[in-house]
Amino acid sequence: MIHRILGTLASAASQPSDERQPTPAVRLDGVTHEYGATGGRLRAGEQRTVTALRDVSIDVQPGETIGLEGPSGSGKSTILHAVAGLLVPTSGSVELIGTDLTPLSTRKRTHVRRQHVGIVFQHFHLLPSLSARANVALPLVQTGVPKRARRKRATELLTQVGLGDRTTHLPSELSGGERQRVAIARALATDPTVVIADEPTGELDTATGNAVLDLLTDVGRERAVLLASHDESTLAVADRVITLRDGQVVADGH
Amino acid sequence: MDTDDEQPPYADSERQSQREDERSTDEFSGRRTNRTRWVGLGRLAVTRLWKRTTKTTSRRVVATISAVALTIALLVVVTGVALALADGGTTTENDADVQVMPESTDLLSSINGVEGARLGEANERAASIREAEGVDHATPVLTEPMRLERAGEGGTTVSESNETEANATDNRTVTDPQTVLLVGVTPDGESRTVAGLPTSELASDADTTADTANATDTNATAAQGPGQRELVLSTTAAERLGVTAGDELAVSSSQFEITDTPPPTVTVTAVVETSGDDETPVALGHLRALQTLSGSSEGELADRVLVWGESDAAADRAAAAYPDATVETPDRTDPSLLFDDGLAFVTSVLALVVVVAICAAFVATTAGMTVNEDRRMLAVLESVGFPTHSRLAIVAISTQALTLCGALLGGVLGFVGIHVLNAVASGTIAPGAVAETHPLFLPYALVIACVAGLIAIPYPLVIAARTSVLAEVSR
Repeated sequence: MIHRILGTLASAASQPSDERQPTPAVRLDGVTHEYGATGGRLRAGEQRTVTALRDVSIDVQPGETIGLEGPSGSGKSTILHAVAGLLVPTSGSVELIGTDLTPLSTRKRTHVRRQHVGIVFQHFHLLPSLSARANVALPLVQTGVPKRARRKRATELLTQVGLGDRTTHLPSELSGGERQRVAIARALATDPTVVIADEPTGELDTATGNAVLDLLTDVGRERAVLLASHDESTLAVADRVITLRDGQVVADGH
Repeated sequence: MDTDDEQPPYADSERQSQREDERSTDEFSGRRTNRTRWVGLGRLAVTRLWKRTTKTTSRRVVATISAVALTIALLVVVTGVALALADGGTTTENDADVQVMPESTDLLSSINGVEGARLGEANERAASIREAEGVDHATPVLTEPMRLERAGEGGTTVSESNETEANATDNRTVTDPQTVLLVGVTPDGESRTVAGLPTSELASDADTTADTANATDTNATAAQGPGQRELVLSTTAAERLGVTAGDELAVSSSQFEITDTPPPTVTVTAVVETSGDDETPVALGHLRALQTLSGSSEGELADRVLVWGESDAAADRAAAAYPDATVETPDRTDPSLLFDDGLAFVTSVLALVVVVAICAAFVATTAGMTVNEDRRMLAVLESVGFPTHSRLAIVAISTQALTLCGALLGGVLGFVGIHVLNAVASGTIAPGAVAETHPLFLPYALVIACVAGLIAIPYPLVIAARTSVLAEVSR
């Protein structure tokens, strides 16, 4: 079944662009998502929810970098999580290269995420007990890539992000910028179609943040990149910036 | 995963065959990928555990391993004690072809006062076994702990009682009577081993028949003809008593003080290193003398009868002589003895149950706490594409690896513990070893630890399965 889905994804990606409208790498169509609220006093039978997204529709083309801006709670991270298949929206559809993720089971969404989505977190989220190389090779373990091939691929990616000489270092032995570059290398390990980055420069100083942004810009030449940030200088690298307020798209432009 | 793919129908057989070849190649490739994936997951779990122990936070890992090691060491020590109880300790070290033991075989152990059933009319029946064709020799064996001291000293030092002799014997000092396991046999002058000591160092009973013929009353002194007054000592016994070959020993007992009779004396004919456990002080002597001293002469009691000769003939004759007893080939290292001895079996089973319960409870608790700390790691694994079963496999492998490390350490500690226990026991409550080691203890410890680990695993897995990736990565 998974192969069938992947086959669909692959065939969709290989559709000739001159025959029809190119399939977007990511398409959100009328996505609404509500979280169950916790805390406070609820009456019997009363259910309180918080609406994180209201009827959001976004298309992202391959090779396009999209910036998501807005205050905290505006729904930026929820969009990223929906694209990554980490959550299923309450209504609407989330398509990845033409395939709707919303009806898929958790296992199948995990499989699609492993093959087609790379994630960069604000707090890096590297495993502290593994070396930089082992962290980068982590997604390849589940895909069944042999050890030697994993090491080779991880070393190549670390070299690509300028950390070829830090492969055996633990995250605690790396600076913040280096950790984020390791996280970006990990996101690229499976050569994903889409890279999502949630506040990638949030924990970095300006110079280091700029270096990381340059890296993401390089990454975005071949892939669709969704970048969520409060920071205008971070959003400046995006081809298009979508502004969110209270879970709604209020602006979408260059 | 791809088993639910429907195969399209093929019209011609060639395409069908080609498709089957491709499918088998895919299946092989799929199996290989699966194997690589599982090897990778196992390696990831172990690497993470190792690096965590050596490079980051090791406190909980060390605590878990230590707790498992201590409980497994306890299991090994208690099982060693149980095996010694079942086996009878050093006194079973012999080269006989067949041995006869009471059906209810709570044999005499080296712990004072632990005594079981004995064989009756042993002298007469052993003599009848000896007469059978194919049997070389048969002897009853009686084991009794006895207090011995150098003759004529009464608890004084050698230097006080015999200064010249003390100087000549390298400052050997005898302060108190020492408890020695006295093993009584009927020697035949041939080279045989009983209780790890050679019977050939004792005069053959054929030479002493005249002496023993009158030894039927309970007067210890009268019971001992000249040929019966000899002992072969193990080196441990000789060192404790401070004697060498040719020295005289007296039996120390309050009964002689009460009756105001002189204690019987024996001559040390030889000091020999035992072939088995060297911590137990053992002495080999004549059966009748020991039966008289211990009050077993009336029923001609013995703990076992050893038979040398052709195994089948010896076994048949022994079974005929003792139809209700157990006839078997001696094997002191056989742990199945535990199943034959009620006390030993219950002791080892209790130790097993207690250890599995403690071990599983501790591993479950610490593994649960570790998983709770590792929720972010589990969330990261999910975010990079590890499905639930892979994440749970990592948790299970880590938990089981920790348990096995503890079991290995515990096995080694258990062996050390048995030696320490024997050393302490031989210096205090028992004349010698109270626990035995066996090579099977280590695999036994590993299997038990595995079982405890498997019992413990569901708890950390439940915690791991409840981890919310969104909650963790958003923190």
